[in-house]
Amino acid sequence: MAKETPLLPVEDVREAALFFVVGALCFLAALAALSAKSTYGAAKSWTAEVQGELTVSLPDVDRRGADEARKIIEQTQGVRTARVLSKDEIDALLEPNFGSRGLPESLPLPQLVAVEADPAVPDMGPTIARNLAEAGIASAVDEHADWAGDVRRVLGVARLTALIAVALLASTAVAVIAFATHAALLARRDIVDVLHLAGARDRFIAGLFERRFWVLGLRAGAVGALMALGASALMIFTVQVHGSRAGLLPELSLDFLDLVILVVTPVIAGFAARFAARMTVIRALKGMM
Amino acid sequence: MTYPRHDLFDDVAVRLDSVSLRYDTSEDILSDIDLVLKPGSFSFLTGASGAGKTSLLKLLYLALKPSRGEVSLFGRSTSNLTRDQLSSLRRRVGVVFQEFRLLEHLSAYENVALPLRVLGRRESDYRADVEELLTWVGLGQRLHAKPPTLSGGEQQRVAIARAVVTQPDILIADEPTGNVDPEMGTRLMRLFLELNKRRGTTVIIATHDLGLVRQVEAPVYRLSNRLLVQDVEFGGEAARRRTDPGLEG
Repeated sequence: MAKETPLLPVEDVREAALFFVVGALCFLAALAALSAKSTYGAAKSWTAEVQGELTVSLPDVDRRGADEARKIIEQTQGVRTARVLSKDEIDALLEPNFGSRGLPESLPLPQLVAVEADPAVPDMGPTIARNLAEAGIASAVDEHADWAGDVRRVLGVARLTALIAVALLASTAVAVIAFATHAALLARRDIVDVLHLAGARDRFIAGLFERRFWVLGLRAGAVGALMALGASALMIFTVQVHGSRAGLLPELSLDFLDLVILVVTPVIAGFAARFAARMTVIRALKGMM
Repeated sequence: MTYPRHDLFDDVAVRLDSVSLRYDTSEDILSDIDLVLKPGSFSFLTGASGAGKTSLLKLLYLALKPSRGEVSLFGRSTSNLTRDQLSSLRRRVGVVFQEFRLLEHLSAYENVALPLRVLGRRESDYRADVEELLTWVGLGQRLHAKPPTLSGGEQQRVAIARAVVTQPDILIADEPTGNVDPEMGTRLMRLFLELNKRRGTTVIIATHDLGLVRQVEAPVYRLSNRLLVQDVEFGGEAARRRTDPGLEG
């Protein structure tokens, strides 16, 4: 005798539609997960660049006074380097605001000292300002903390949004599969009844649906994950080709963790499908004697 | 020689105590039914169409819960059993449904083997038995035919083979010969009798075919006006006299 026929017949049309829906949801969920992960990486990278960097503004001193201030700053514990910015460097910094024709000579500009300090040392800004004040030099210290904080907040919200999207897409997939299982159960009520009256236990009947939807979830999830991989690869390729104008995306790449996400997606889809099918069938069978 | 599987203390195979049944809010379909079937007994259930024969059988094969009263199988009340315990009881009951209930995507062979698959038996262990049973009911050449390609009579024989393949302790048949010719009807009755006599299977057959009732000396229960009564006279000769007054005296 040939291989045993499955007790649940394959529902080509219904299952093709479900396959498409689950595959699409997995594609979106994988992309959202990759986005969440890359925003985390970007936030870390962008904020790391400014960590420990300070700019000391000296409004009331000339170039010589700036050099004295630099020496005081260099003697502060935790400071690695301090450098007085040249007039050209200050012009370049202000170019976005004042244009490329240079600044009027009459415009009073503060002297600027770029400081690189140990990020692990706390309150570096106030310490430098205090040391300069003690030497009679007025100063304003910008720790870039506001900018870094804004970046962290924005990327934190983006990451949270991406994670909510993952959760929503996963729960939508579970709901869709539960609905499809229920429909399959109704369509195959004849089979369920016969098995039930032949003495099949609830878990035996649920197992038939579980296996069916586990395989469907796994396959659809794999297709969705592969599509997400393709989309990510295309995005990375585009960024690399137009890299010079896409400076905001320096961290876009596929690393090991990204591949783990893509591999895990179909497995999660399979488990979600299995879980949804089991719960739906067990609940429906409870309604039978 | 095969011996009956009844437990020593199963002095009653089926017991209905004051059982009533109603669907939703309608009137009772069955009212205050009392019935005792001893292990190894053979009985008929008759009644006009719509009298509630199928509903009564559904109570016996645990497809329905009574609205009132109690159904017991093998000395155990079914009202407080767990779902797994109910499944275990159902495995001891073979059912021939009036509408066959064959699975259309499975072959005749696979339909008959279905209860064995449910029991977790291996195909290599039961293949010969299933083929022999199908040959016995005259379908040895149609093992791989799907139900939609079988005639009504052939489907009925597959349904009967499926009901008896596990050699159940109770066999419940709802109009089992309704779609077969008299010769096959007689043959199927012989199968039921053989199961009853050789294995001690408790058999109850719902039918309005008095020709079938005439073949066996067995108690006849009749459903009428929602009540179950046992005919004073048995089947067999008594039934023959009842339907053919010329034989009396």
